[in-house]
Amino acid sequence: MQCSVSSLSLSPAVKSRLTAAGFSLLSELQGLPPSQICAEAGVSQQEALQVLQAVRGSPVRIAPPLTALQLLQEEQQQRSIISFCSQLDAALGGGLPVGKTTEICGAPGVGKTQLCLQLAVDVQVPVCFGGLGGQAVFVDTEGSFLLQRVQDFAGAAVKHCSLLVEDDEQRVAMTTFNVETILSNIFLVRCHDYVELLAELHLLPDFLSEHPRVRLLVIDSMAFPFRLHFDELSQRTRLLNGLAQQFIAMASSHHIAVVITNQMTTRLRGSQSQLVPALGESWGHAPTIRLLLQWAGTQRLAVIFKSPGHPGSTVEYQINSDGFRDAVQSEQPPSKRPRTHTIQSAAGQRDSNQSAPGPRHCS
Amino acid sequence: MSTRMLKRTGLSNELCEQLKRHQIESCKDLLSLTPLEVMHAACLSYQQAIELLQSVSKVIAPPVSTALELCKQQACFSTSLPALDKLLRGGLPHGTITEVTGPSGCGKTQICLMLSVLATLPKSEGGLDSGVIYIDTECAFSAERLVEIAQSRFPDYFNCRERVLHMAGRVLLCRELTCQDVLNRLDRIEEDIISSGAGLIILDSVASVVRKEFDTTLPGNLMHRSDLLGHEASTLKYLAHQFNIPVVLTNQITTHLGGQGSEDAGFVTAALGNTWSHSVNTRLILQYVDSHQRQILIAKSPVAPFAVLNYTIEKQGICIDGDDSQETLYEGTDPGLQPIRVQTGFTYNLTTPI
Repeated sequence: MQCSVSSLSLSPAVKSRLTAAGFSLLSELQGLPPSQICAEAGVSQQEALQVLQAVRGSPVRIAPPLTALQLLQEEQQQRSIISFCSQLDAALGGGLPVGKTTEICGAPGVGKTQLCLQLAVDVQVPVCFGGLGGQAVFVDTEGSFLLQRVQDFAGAAVKHCSLLVEDDEQRVAMTTFNVETILSNIFLVRCHDYVELLAELHLLPDFLSEHPRVRLLVIDSMAFPFRLHFDELSQRTRLLNGLAQQFIAMASSHHIAVVITNQMTTRLRGSQSQLVPALGESWGHAPTIRLLLQWAGTQRLAVIFKSPGHPGSTVEYQINSDGFRDAVQSEQPPSKRPRTHTIQSAAGQRDSNQSAPGPRHCS
Repeated sequence: MSTRMLKRTGLSNELCEQLKRHQIESCKDLLSLTPLEVMHAACLSYQQAIELLQSVSKVIAPPVSTALELCKQQACFSTSLPALDKLLRGGLPHGTITEVTGPSGCGKTQICLMLSVLATLPKSEGGLDSGVIYIDTECAFSAERLVEIAQSRFPDYFNCRERVLHMAGRVLLCRELTCQDVLNRLDRIEEDIISSGAGLIILDSVASVVRKEFDTTLPGNLMHRSDLLGHEASTLKYLAHQFNIPVVLTNQITTHLGGQGSEDAGFVTAALGNTWSHSVNTRLILQYVDSHQRQILIAKSPVAPFAVLNYTIEKQGICIDGDDSQETLYEGTDPGLQPIRVQTGFTYNLTTPI
């Protein structure tokens, strides 16, 4: 017990009184009756009790180190959230990892929110279909959560799973996997500014404890509230760093995947301008995985440009009426591509899905 | 909400006084601090500081609802153009921002006037039965045209003078000619929304005042401009969500010069840049085909695929040509860089920079 009194999580006033009274090490406080502490340090009885409680519940608890083997087993138990876009899943090693923070950046209209909505639906795919059977929390700061679109996605996911039913367990699971339950398992919070977002994040750990089935937290978007109302950039950087820490803590302690969207901003380098993710360079350290969605002419591309576990790669995707999907095979002549957006061809698309995405791979 | 004073969050007076000594008066001030700073400022132990932060957060944090509960308040504002409504899954969604972009004279203001008429119609006629707040920054609003559109579009309903007058009386016009005026108006518009029972906010146009006042070639101006636009966007989003009403904006066009060494030459595209494009939920682009024929492009929408609809401007406002099935779909591209055809009927090809 060579810890000093100043390491206790007490209010500064009490700590300064203790130090003034000559207490410098925790061991000196241990075993003292409260009334003696009162007399020596001149604190109230209540405060003396707090002091003793703080000493007993010594804050210096060092978690035993884990071996890489334990971590490996742990990580293998934590499954990933599939995106229904098999190429993206493959590039990410089976989907979006639970327990990690992922950032999705991209130009306006490229499909950031669509991917988030898709994930919010996909996280609920029942376990027997290879999904997580979880729930999702969707923090919307931009007002872009559109119910009709979620209904589409949910309908498509239910249909996809119902085609895969093979045994009784899956049949039973399908009885509770419908559009209505999917919608009731998405918790929605609409934050109007960064203060509301900060407040919400203070409450989230408790919310997650009350709802242990939540496996996905989406913040869409991080950039919008933090790009305004900041005269001082240092203040913003500090808040963002604090948030990043909170996200990482939540992701690992509650076993959830944290997905944050970010906007793009124009940076002028000399005479040239280029698009870079917003919120500054230092924010780039916060997410474990960074995905960039971008346009290449009329194609949509997803680029993994930061990930500790996967090589950087680029995959093509499309967004159709069912959701976020693989791009149509590139053998097809490009002239046929525009048709993929039509609703009529969505049926044909679903057929080709048989060989492509979906939870059946994981089951 | 964030400016809410700590005094009104149920904290004890002593604590408020203590925090005030450290210039912490509003919830915003408190929540911007780390727990350690709170411990120091409020003279609390770590546990108490966390509790304090949580109790204040509870007051501030917006309620959690499930998507299923949202089903009940889901609504759309029909544009009375069946083909467009079908693509947008019922019309302009309530609670979101829709932007109409296009070259001058293409019909942006016409759309705004038409939507104003629609919003005042009773629910039985497919309207919202509500007032309209029309913020006009270009002095382009014409009451005469409003009445003309109303009478030629709905001749059966607007058959008597009272109904026309009633309709015109429900459109609240605000002429704001500078950025500051627009901002001031938006900051105080909540009262007007309640008093006039407005179900639609129109800002025509968001670009004109901003582009007039900010010369973006001067250093610092671009930053100031995007701050201002961001402020407008967040206020409008707040209003749209708070009152669950649609917000319609118009935007202008600008010339996008291809970057050095890039293969694309310059073309005309929506103004106000990339950051602004993030702020709008739906972007409709109007463009010319020839002097009479025009097109609506759905360039960004959370629900609709990319699509093109042909229309003309008639006495009764916007008229979509042909039947519903006539729309052609096209492969999308970045809505911030979608080329727009202007009056001459071809895409400007600016191979030589101006």
